[in-house]
Amino acid sequence: MKKTWLSGLLGACSALALGASLANVPDKEPVRFALLQDFTAVYTFLTNEYNQGQQDYLRLVNARGGLDGHPVEALVRDTANEPQRGIEAYNRARGDGAVLVDFLSTPVSRAAVNRVLEDEVVMITPLHGRGDASHGETFPFVFPMMATYWSQAAILADYIDTELGGLAGKRIALVHIDSPFGREPVPVLETLAARHGFELRAFAYPSPGTEQSATWSDVRRYRPDQVLIWGAGSGQQVSVREAIRNGIRPEHILSVVWLAEADAEHLGKHMTGVKRYEAVAPGRELPVIQAILDEVVAKGEGSGPEENVGSSYYNIGVATMAVAVEAARLALAEYGAPLTGDKLRRGFEQISNFDAEGLMPPLSFSATDHQGGGFGRVSRWDGGAWVPVTEWRSVYQDIVWDEIEKDAAGFRDGR
Amino acid sequence: MFYRQSGIHHTRYAATRKLWPLAADRRLLGGLLALALLAPLLLPELYLNSYLAPWLIWTAAALSLTLLMGIAGQLHFGFAAVMAIGAYTSIHLARAGVPFELALIGAGLAAALIGCVFGAAALRVKGLYLVMATLAMQYLVSWVIINVPVISGGAQATLATPEVRLLFIPLDGDTALYYTALGWTLICTLLLLNIKRSSVGRALVAVRDKDFAAAVIGVDPLRYKLLAFFTSSFLGGVSGAILAFCYYQAVTPEQFGFNVSIQLVAMVLVGGLGSVIGAYLGAGFILLLPIVLTNLLAWVAGLELFPVSFNLIAHIPLMVYGALIIAVILFEPLGLAKIYDNIRKYFLVWPFRHAQR
Repeated sequence: MKKTWLSGLLGACSALALGASLANVPDKEPVRFALLQDFTAVYTFLTNEYNQGQQDYLRLVNARGGLDGHPVEALVRDTANEPQRGIEAYNRARGDGAVLVDFLSTPVSRAAVNRVLEDEVVMITPLHGRGDASHGETFPFVFPMMATYWSQAAILADYIDTELGGLAGKRIALVHIDSPFGREPVPVLETLAARHGFELRAFAYPSPGTEQSATWSDVRRYRPDQVLIWGAGSGQQVSVREAIRNGIRPEHILSVVWLAEADAEHLGKHMTGVKRYEAVAPGRELPVIQAILDEVVAKGEGSGPEENVGSSYYNIGVATMAVAVEAARLALAEYGAPLTGDKLRRGFEQISNFDAEGLMPPLSFSATDHQGGGFGRVSRWDGGAWVPVTEWRSVYQDIVWDEIEKDAAGFRDGR
Repeated sequence: MFYRQSGIHHTRYAATRKLWPLAADRRLLGGLLALALLAPLLLPELYLNSYLAPWLIWTAAALSLTLLMGIAGQLHFGFAAVMAIGAYTSIHLARAGVPFELALIGAGLAAALIGCVFGAAALRVKGLYLVMATLAMQYLVSWVIINVPVISGGAQATLATPEVRLLFIPLDGDTALYYTALGWTLICTLLLLNIKRSSVGRALVAVRDKDFAAAVIGVDPLRYKLLAFFTSSFLGGVSGAILAFCYYQAVTPEQFGFNVSIQLVAMVLVGGLGSVIGAYLGAGFILLLPIVLTNLLAWVAGLELFPVSFNLIAHIPLMVYGALIIAVILFEPLGLAKIYDNIRKYFLVWPFRHAQR
C-alpha cells in the first residue's frame, strides 16, 4: 500500500516536472551544455554570479523558442575544484549527451584537456585554463573565447603606455599570487619591458593570498610607478588594501580581470581610482541584460537573486553563453541536427564580429584563433560603478601569439 | 551458521597462520575478486572509469599510508607530496624513454629516498611535531614543483603522460588502465596483509605502541621507523605514478595539494587505523561519497518538488558529508573497518549472541 502511494507521488511529480520544462519550448531534441563548476571551494567568489548569468541567458533563449526549436538544457554540478570530481561529472555529462562543457576551474580543465580532445566535446575556458589553448590547430575542441592573461597584461601595459605617461624608464611592479596563474603574465611583460625600456619586477605572495604584508613592504621599497595586481578572490582585496597601506595611490593600481563590485564594496572609499582589465561590460543598461530582466527575471524565472543581475561576473557568464549559443545556432543552421561536439566546434569557428549587442568586444574565431582576438578594455572604479576609460582594444598580439605558439608546441611534444 | 567454524581445528602452525582460515571468508573474497575481474564487462563505462578505477588507486595510496600511520604509528600529513614525487618521476622517466616498469620502480625509489629524508625527522620527534615535519615536506615539495619549470612542465604547469606499455600491453583504454590499477592495489593489499603477520610487522607494531619499550626488547626503533618510511613512501610513490598514468593522464601540481594529504589521512582514519579493509572502505567513503551525494541531491532537485537554489544544493552534500564523518568517528572510533568487524562477529556465531574467536 505504502509503495503504491509513493510511486504514485513520484509519477505525479515527474509528470509535473516534465510539463513545466516543456511548457514553452517545442519538443525537439535539447542541446545540452554542461556547467560543471566549483560552487564550494576555491572559485566561489565568482561561480554563483557567473553560473546565474549563464543559466539566465539559457532561460532567455528557451523563452524565445530555443535554438530553432531545440531547447538548451544546462547540466549543472558542483566539482569543488577537485579534478577527480570534475572527471566524474564530465564522464556523466558526456553520457547524458552534453556537447559543451565549462568547468570554470583551471585544475579541472587542465586535467580534462586530453579527454575533450579525444571525445570531441567542446570545452570553453573563458578567463581560466590554458592560455595556449588559443592555438586552434593544436586544441581544436578548446576555446578560451576571451582574452588570455597574456592579452590582459598586454592591454594593461598598453594603457600605461598611452594614457598614464608612458612606459619608458618607469618602474612597474607585478604583485602576483605564487602559482602558475600568477606567473603567467611574466613572459609577456618581460618582452614588453625589453621593447619599451621599462623596469619590471615581480613580487610573489603565498597562496591563498590572505596574508601579503611582507610582500608589500618589499614593493614599497621598490617605489614602483605603477603596480599590477594579479590574483583572484579575496586575495585581490588584500592586495589593494596592502598597496594603499604602503603608500601606493589607488590610481596607480591596475588589476587583472578578477576585481569586481563586491571587492569594491568591502574596500569602500579607498578603492576609488583603482583600474582593472575588463573582458565584458558590466551593468544593466545593455540590451541583453534588459531582455533577461524583462523576459526571465520579471516572470520569476531567474536562477538566482535578482540583485546579482548586471554585476561584472554575472555579465561574464551571460557573455560565455551568448557566444556558445551563437555557435550552436550557426552549427545547426549549417550542419543540421543533431548537434555534435564537432559541429559545435565548427560553429564556433564561424563566429565573426559577434558582440551580443554591445555586451562585449566584437569576437571572431577561426580554425587557428580560439582566443577571439584578445580584446578588452580598462575600466576605473569611480566610487559606485566600473566606468570604462578606454575603447575595446587588442594590442601586442604578436607577443601574445609567440607565447601561445611556444606553449602549444610544448603540448604537441607531449607536455 | 554462515561461517561454519565447527570442525576447523588448527593442528599445525601453518594452518593457524593462514590469512583466511575460514572457508566462508575465502568464498566471499573469491566472489569479490571475480566481480573485480569481471567489472569491465559488468559495469557501464562511467562507473568503471570514474568510480571503480579511482577508488582502487586511492585505496592503494591509503594502504601505503596505513602501513606508516596505522602499523608503524608515524603520523604523515604530507603524503600527497610523496605521491607527487612518484608521479613526476615516472612521467619524466617514461618521457626519457625508460620502460614503464622501470619508471614505476624509479618513481617508488625517488619517493622513498626523499620520503626518508623527511622521515628522518621521525627519529627525533613524535606526534604533533612529526606532523609539522611532514607538513613541511608537503609545502616544500609543492613549492619546488611549482617553481622549477623543468619539473612542472613550463608555463602551463601541466604534463601529459606519454603512451606506455606495461608488460608489452599498451596502456590505453579504460579496461587496460583499470586492470593495471587493480593489479597494483592487489599487490599492495597482499603485501600489507603479509607484513602484518611477519616479524617486521610485529616489530613495527612494537615501535608504534612504545618505542623505548621496543628498544628494551631488542627492536631497533631507528631502523624500523626508517624502514616504515622507506616502504610506505615507495608504495606511495608508485601509487602516485599509477594515479597519474591510469587515471589523470595529465599531471598538475594542484592534484597533489595539501587538501589531498588531508583526504588521505581522513581515508586512513575513517576507514580504521592499521586495517587493510579499512583502507578500501575509507577510500570509498572519502572519495566517492561526495560524488554520490552531489548526484543524489541533483536528482532530488531535478524532481522540482520544491524551489531550492543551486547554491544550497551544492552545499548540502558538504554538511551531510561532515555529519557522516563525525558520526562514524563518534559511533565507532576504530573506523568503518571495525563496523564491518562487528557485523562479521555477530554473524560468526549467529543465531547465538556471544562471539568467541
